[in-house]
Amino acid sequence: MSITITGVARAANGAAPRRRTYGRRALAGYGFITPAIVFLIGFALLPFLFTVYVSLHDWNMLTAVTSMPFRGLENYSYLIFEDPLFRQTFANTFVFAAGNVAISSLLALGVALLLNGEVRFPTFWRAVYFLPYVTSSVAISIVWANLYHPSYGLFNGILELFQLPGARFLASLETALPSVIAVAVWHAVGYYMIIFLAGLQSIPLEVYEAAKVDGANAWHRFLSITLPLLRPTLLFVAVVNTLGSLQVFDLAFVLTNGGPVNATNTVVLYMYQTAFNFTRMGRASAMAVMLFLVILVITLVQLRLLRERE
Amino acid sequence: MNIVSRLVASLAIAAMVVAACTAAPETSKGPVKLVVLTHWGDQALLAVLQPIFDEYQKQNPNVKIEHQSVAFDELLKRITTGRLGGSAPDIYHFYNLWMPEFVASDLLQQPPGDVIADIKKGYSQSSVDGSSYRNQVWGYPTEVNTYQLIYNKKLLQEAGSTKPPATWDELRTVATKATKKGADGKVTQAGFLLLKGWDSGVVHPWSSLLWSNNGDYVAKDNSKVRFNEKAGIETTQFEVDLIKSGAADLGFTMDDFAAGKVAMTIMANWWGAALKKALPDNVGVAPIPTNGGAQSSTLQYNWLWGVDKGSKQGQEAWKFLTWLNGAPQAGGTSPMGKYLTTALNAIPARMSDQQANASLLGDAFVKPFVDSLRTSRSEPIIPGAQEIKTVLQKQIEAAWFGQKSPKDALDTAATEANRILSEKR
Repeated sequence: MSITITGVARAANGAAPRRRTYGRRALAGYGFITPAIVFLIGFALLPFLFTVYVSLHDWNMLTAVTSMPFRGLENYSYLIFEDPLFRQTFANTFVFAAGNVAISSLLALGVALLLNGEVRFPTFWRAVYFLPYVTSSVAISIVWANLYHPSYGLFNGILELFQLPGARFLASLETALPSVIAVAVWHAVGYYMIIFLAGLQSIPLEVYEAAKVDGANAWHRFLSITLPLLRPTLLFVAVVNTLGSLQVFDLAFVLTNGGPVNATNTVVLYMYQTAFNFTRMGRASAMAVMLFLVILVITLVQLRLLRERE
Repeated sequence: MNIVSRLVASLAIAAMVVAACTAAPETSKGPVKLVVLTHWGDQALLAVLQPIFDEYQKQNPNVKIEHQSVAFDELLKRITTGRLGGSAPDIYHFYNLWMPEFVASDLLQQPPGDVIADIKKGYSQSSVDGSSYRNQVWGYPTEVNTYQLIYNKKLLQEAGSTKPPATWDELRTVATKATKKGADGKVTQAGFLLLKGWDSGVVHPWSSLLWSNNGDYVAKDNSKVRFNEKAGIETTQFEVDLIKSGAADLGFTMDDFAAGKVAMTIMANWWGAALKKALPDNVGVAPIPTNGGAQSSTLQYNWLWGVDKGSKQGQEAWKFLTWLNGAPQAGGTSPMGKYLTTALNAIPARMSDQQANASLLGDAFVKPFVDSLRTSRSEPIIPGAQEIKTVLQKQIEAAWFGQKSPKDALDTAATEANRILSEKR
């Protein structure tokens, strides 16, 4: 009993300083993360909550916040059930995201594989592929709009050279969205190429050498070693690329302004038009909340996949 | 920062600045600072505008004018976000289509009685109408823009036409003759240019044709739109026929007209300065072609100076605007009249400015636009006008691209427009 009491007393004597040390450390920790927490609350959480609040009201930004009329779920029900344009912009956005994510990821992987091999001037080629990404998307859009021009654009000039019929690119309902996707792919390939390259260079060479000894050819090595070990990078690229693609705005805005006849109108562009051209901030906020929820679900699914693979 | 974040952040600002929106005007004491917002940021424009502001400051040493300018596309956003952020300018130069929203939101200060009297006396009725809403004048009208048929003289001559078309049938014939196609069937020279992807570029020329076909855009009491009636369907069908025949190619742009690859289009007078440089002595202007024996008419839109209701310098702001728009300078023009005619190549709304600048306004390009003011009609200033215009633009384009028949397209636009009207009324 005495031993137990002594043990407890000792434990109690030792626990108090430990608690004090732990408390001081915890305090320092909280101190360090406070700026980040304050930033997150001020610039992410509060605006998000305010967006949700505005989405339940009718507001044109010209009247006081306190006087905006409450509309309940009216903005949401209008967008879901009565606004065909909102559904169309969602469809356009998903087509854009699917096309952009699939093509740019595959191309980036292909280029990364090429540059990871025996290539002369690898740094030069990396810089060449990365250049579009660091160029302003507005400048890119203006240049591409001229390249696409049906009369004097370079692409139709090339087609004409080979006596092929010209295309209307951005001026046609059928080709406008694929044309915008092509620009997005060109813009993004370099960035994802760099990420894939980093992933490829982290795969140990010994694994490839062992496979070679076992007689595996290049295709088998790619399927059995490169792809499985690159899976975390692939999923990261898929998540980041999808998030960016679902929020596409600048290319659609500058290249086509959503036209022709909304063929390239995206959710965020429509949100922008609704908010700032029509001053319907409540409806635009409802769009923002719905897009947020969709992106949240997609991201959670992708992260779940990532965790399972790991 | 992406657009979602920007939207969210701009909303957040509002929560912190409610008080700023409700500040009551105060009488100014001592030095006065007037913040003036325009969309005139071009250096060539500022070279004429700034000395005018300087002159007023010289005459009124206690007044300091701070000129802020943004691109046209940003102007409405700057006004709304200025309100939210508590940094609303004292004076705006704004598009009259925004008036219903501004008035409904109690954004504008009512002009003093002497200013209203000056406007009613010194401006044409269409300009007074263009700066009025719900029987109240809201500011000084400035530039007036109308639409006319603009044509390339050389291309029309090559098409065998000695004079511009006066009717839709003549326009159809001339446009077809002026169209050239390459061996692959691609249009290399368009007979007529229809602008796409821009609400005013689509709807303003369309409305001019509608009114020159005895049509109506909206009922007199603004209770419902009427653009989907017979005249509207005929107008849309006329444009669709031009596209189907190949005379109007939707791949062509304003740049193509300036490059001499388009024979005709319908556009506003503000384009004149650029066209004179691009196609010197080769551009003609004629009234909007008519249909069914109608009188030629055209759409007129206005800009005006208004004063923010929250401005603490309201009295000084109206004093400055009265001087800017009315004080006679050398030659009898007002400072604004001088700026509009010499820098902007625009038509001043003030009648005395039109008379004082008769030589500039008698220019072969500008004169038909000035003459058209006699028969022009103001763009309908109705609740939700901007949104209705965009809805109509999208549906007209749907008809152009063959997605819908003209009737279906206009009926869809009308249903949506009437819903907006009833919501915003």
